[in-house]
Amino acid sequence: MSDPSRGPLTEINQQVETAFTAALERIHVGRGVGRMALLLVVTFIFFAILRPGIFLSQVNLQNIGLVAPEIGLLSLAVMIAMLTGGIDLSVVAIANGTAITVSTLYTSVLNSQGQGAADSMTPLILLAGVAVGVALGAINGVLVSVVGITPILATLGTWQLYNGLALVWTGGITVSGAPSGLMSMGSAAVLGIPVLLIILIVAAVALGVLINRTAIGRKIALQGANPVASKFSGISARSTLMMTYATSGLLSAVAGLIFLSRSSSASADYGSSYVLLVIVIVVLGGTNPNGGFATVLGVILAALTLQVLSSGFTAMRLSAYQYAIAQGVILVGVMVLDQMRFKTRKRRPGTNSEEQGAIAEAETK
Amino acid sequence: MKTALGRLRGANNEGLLVAVIVVVVVAMSIASPAFLTPGTFFALVRSSMVPLVFALGVMLIMISGGIDVSFPAIAIFAAYTTMRWSIDGNLDLGLVLVFVIAMVVGGLLGLFNGVVIARFRLPTLIVTLGTQTIYKGILLTYIGSLYISAGELPKSVTKLSDAHLWDVPGGGYLHSMVIPVVLVTVLIAWMLRWTVFGRSIYAIGGDEEAARRVGIRVVRTQVWLYTLVGALAAFGGMVFVILGKNANPQSIVGTELDIIAAVVLGGASIFGGRGSVVGTVLGVVLVQLINNNLVLVGIPSTWQRAAVGMLLLLGVTAQALGHVRSRKRPVIVKKEVEA
Repeated sequence: MSDPSRGPLTEINQQVETAFTAALERIHVGRGVGRMALLLVVTFIFFAILRPGIFLSQVNLQNIGLVAPEIGLLSLAVMIAMLTGGIDLSVVAIANGTAITVSTLYTSVLNSQGQGAADSMTPLILLAGVAVGVALGAINGVLVSVVGITPILATLGTWQLYNGLALVWTGGITVSGAPSGLMSMGSAAVLGIPVLLIILIVAAVALGVLINRTAIGRKIALQGANPVASKFSGISARSTLMMTYATSGLLSAVAGLIFLSRSSSASADYGSSYVLLVIVIVVLGGTNPNGGFATVLGVILAALTLQVLSSGFTAMRLSAYQYAIAQGVILVGVMVLDQMRFKTRKRRPGTNSEEQGAIAEAETK
Repeated sequence: MKTALGRLRGANNEGLLVAVIVVVVVAMSIASPAFLTPGTFFALVRSSMVPLVFALGVMLIMISGGIDVSFPAIAIFAAYTTMRWSIDGNLDLGLVLVFVIAMVVGGLLGLFNGVVIARFRLPTLIVTLGTQTIYKGILLTYIGSLYISAGELPKSVTKLSDAHLWDVPGGGYLHSMVIPVVLVTVLIAWMLRWTVFGRSIYAIGGDEEAARRVGIRVVRTQVWLYTLVGALAAFGGMVFVILGKNANPQSIVGTELDIIAAVVLGGASIFGGRGSVVGTVLGVVLVQLINNNLVLVGIPSTWQRAAVGMLLLLGVTAQALGHVRSRKRPVIVKKEVEA
């Protein structure tokens, strides 16, 4: 709490703001990136020493590079929703929706007009798939911002709904068939780096620029840090949230294309275990579940770490259930640790409470 | 007139829910003559029992301002573990002891949830999502992943599986487990209304800080609440095992959305402080009515999930719009008084 006897109001404001931004920076590095980078290296070395033969093999490393992109993209999709203080549980359902759309469109064109037409139509088909993803994300946005449903409940409902509609559409079976261009992309590599991994990196950089360097990104972060301050700064919560959930839908849609490029088939139930995994990654990556703080790099590192952990568990011949236990323990453990650190930081004199800082920041703008 | 209408509507839209159920029942009986038979009714009662027990737990948590998705994992963990122990120990403990052990196991798992959530003030959905996988993982890795068939289950349990309270002449029957389920439902309704603990749950959900200043021990109440809900989930798990006459460690988990949908439809507010046992019972009945009978009226069963999702969205939309309205209402009233 700031000392009331000190100077004019503006000076206090300024001090509050500098303290706040300093705290912000410390949290960014401390919570997300630094810790995750260390954890990634430690996990990697741990398994490399324990099972060098299996873990360090070409196949295993390539596998990490192939599975990480779809999980990374879904994590980014949840991250941006969590940045506003919400959550998006429907990301996997949206990704499956995109994959099913592309697969069925492609197969029907292929059957009616032949291979040549289907190949030339591919860009259009992919665009339609992405449009479906963005539209489903926009529906989430409407429910959250216009109707005013809590994000958890809104996306819980749409998760069920999108998943249910996908079931109805496919009749509960796996649909196969994917554009040949998409499939060759799934197995291609540039300089030994899988193309899918490059897609993830490009998406991550783009999202990082969006969040840190553009006005809309700032609005999204402020919406999560302090909705009241955001409102008093003249920011429309409605358009900010719409933009957030549409972006989340877009990222999920790209993940859906990656699903399809890897397996050349799509189903309503693909990746049902991803929902928890993705939330674990996002929280582990230093995102504040209550909104306001998130780093793209932290989330990407967390996604890689969990993928390394997963393949390490496989190399150690541990079961998928043991990996699930590890996920749960990491999730709860990280949140408890964060909370304990947060408490000790709060008690220290000199630092200010988040709310004051955010309001001060908003006022000086 | 407005108050009479308001009373009919109920504090948590219970009246509205009854109307919806009536509409669904009428529509279904028009669509299919097979619907309006005693068999359908008793099948509905039977299939509502387990979801109702779970829904009561979810409702209690929701009234306190949280959301719990770990209850299916707790339920099957407790029930399966108890069965496994009594089979491995080769002893038939008798029904009462079986229920007690299961509920103690469930209570301990709930206690863990409660301590993590209340002590560290963490988001309940994310914590319970995590503990759900932990519990399920421990169950399948360290306790057992094998299906236990009716022949292996303790005799006292299977005897209860076949105990019908009343066999209906036209097909269908009333299972005797309906008695404890109804008893538990009434007990929870009583607890919420007439005990300090029950009122504290509402108070915490309404405004945690206000509850603290009134002198309610928030952390302690929450820890007890999660323990109670864990025990309740275990009870539901045992009912599930008895009704199904088998114990499958892979079952139950995955049904949480249906239950949450039912509770939200029943008028419990995600923001806490609102919710009633009557509403929850009606919500469960509505969801089960749709789940059971979509096929009967000619809609393919693949529509089930989409239908429940749609129902959930409609329920929360109604709630969100009502929330906005109730926030605006005091201002209007004040103006009227001044004029």
